Amino acid sequence: MDMLKLEILTPNGVIYNGNALSVTLPGEEGEFGVLAEHSSLTTLLEAGVIDIEKEDKSVESVLINWGVVQVDEKKVIVLVEGAVAIRGESEGAVAKALNNAKELIDSIKDNNPAIASVTARLEAAAQNLL
Amino acid sequence: MASLKDIQRQIKSVSNTQKTTRAMKLVSTAKLRRAEELAKRSRLYAAKMNQVLAEIAGRIKCNKVGGIDNRCFIDIENPKTIDIVFVTADKGLCGGFNIQTIKAVKKLLTEYKAKNVKVRLRGIGKKGIEFFKYNEIELYDSVADLSSKPDKERADAFIESSIEDFKNEKTDALYVVYNGYKNMITQELHVNKLLPVDASQFDCSEAEKSMLEVESQDEEKMLDSLVNKYAQYAIYYALIDSVAAEHSARMQAMDAATNNAKEMVKSLKVQFNKARQAAITTELIEIISGVESMK
Repeated sequence: MDMLKLEILTPNGVIYNGNALSVTLPGEEGEFGVLAEHSSLTTLLEAGVIDIEKEDKSVESVLINWGVVQVDEKKVIVLVEGAVAIRGESEGAVAKALNNAKELIDSIKDNNPAIASVTARLEAAAQNLL
Repeated sequence: MASLKDIQRQIKSVSNTQKTTRAMKLVSTAKLRRAEELAKRSRLYAAKMNQVLAEIAGRIKCNKVGGIDNRCFIDIENPKTIDIVFVTADKGLCGGFNIQTIKAVKKLLTEYKAKNVKVRLRGIGKKGIEFFKYNEIELYDSVADLSSKPDKERADAFIESSIEDFKNEKTDALYVVYNGYKNMITQELHVNKLLPVDASQFDCSEAEKSMLEVESQDEEKMLDSLVNKYAQYAIYYALIDSVAAEHSARMQAMDAATNNAKEMVKSLKVQFNKARQAAITTELIEIISGVESMK
């Protein structure tokens, strides 16, 4: 299966830069998945979780609060304002990332119904890691 | 010739100044590291953001995405009123850092005045504000204590009215002028056109290669919020880049001042030794001639 090049950038640096099999993004009108050779599009993302399916089929989750994505045939560039990657070597590190993620969710002001499901998704993602 | 006491006093004063400038240099070096790190991390994000926006503007220009009538993306040929946001430091003692920005702003002012364009200045940073106040040039809006401590929220609030004015057709362009960080010893002056988004770099043949869809039910709304974020971030980035540049400029200026002070102490010491030798010689001559006269 073809790979796509994925870059996730925040004002504080690069969160993810590498190949991925697929990526699922929280678009304004619902989640959408992107595979390699996807046609070009630019759209906004809202608060949610980006799921990255990596080369070894493992899934990494990144929580974002706002973003814009530019997709073309070869690469996907995601620009986000605030993001927390749910990953870590140990249980403690994952728990810390989860806490950071929760803080980020709390900082999102508008009372979006999607937020509740985001929290649930987050915990599920963390469970998978442990 | 100055008396020995005078020279001694001068030496002491210069070496005190040297101590201060050296301390200031060390402080700036430490601050620079932090500011540089922040600016470096954001650089990529800022560049990609510009790229995405420029691409949208370019495609609108090349008529690849039809039906979008957002003035943020369309070049306005004869602007009537423009906004210029400039960023200077809150403090001085950093060489030509502030004056470079001020000169660039003044140049823009005269340029646009000649074209009969009304310019509204929005100043960030005490030094620039003071300068224009002193020269009795009116500032439309100003904020102090922001450039030394860049804060996203305050920057957003400051620029918001400017973006709104542009969208409501009160202004026809928004420029930002700041002195940015290039490396440890050089600063680079930036005069960026923020709005409408500059698409001049965009090559229309690029647009042929892949098609782009702006996917959204109401693309106007999407472009609107994208432009807001872009302009806000651009200002914030200008602030952090400017802070890094300010510290590097101050570091240099203070280094030069320390060296100058060192030189000065050296030449004063020579002067002091000469004066002392002269005093000794005079005294000796007096003694000898006294003895001679008693013979």
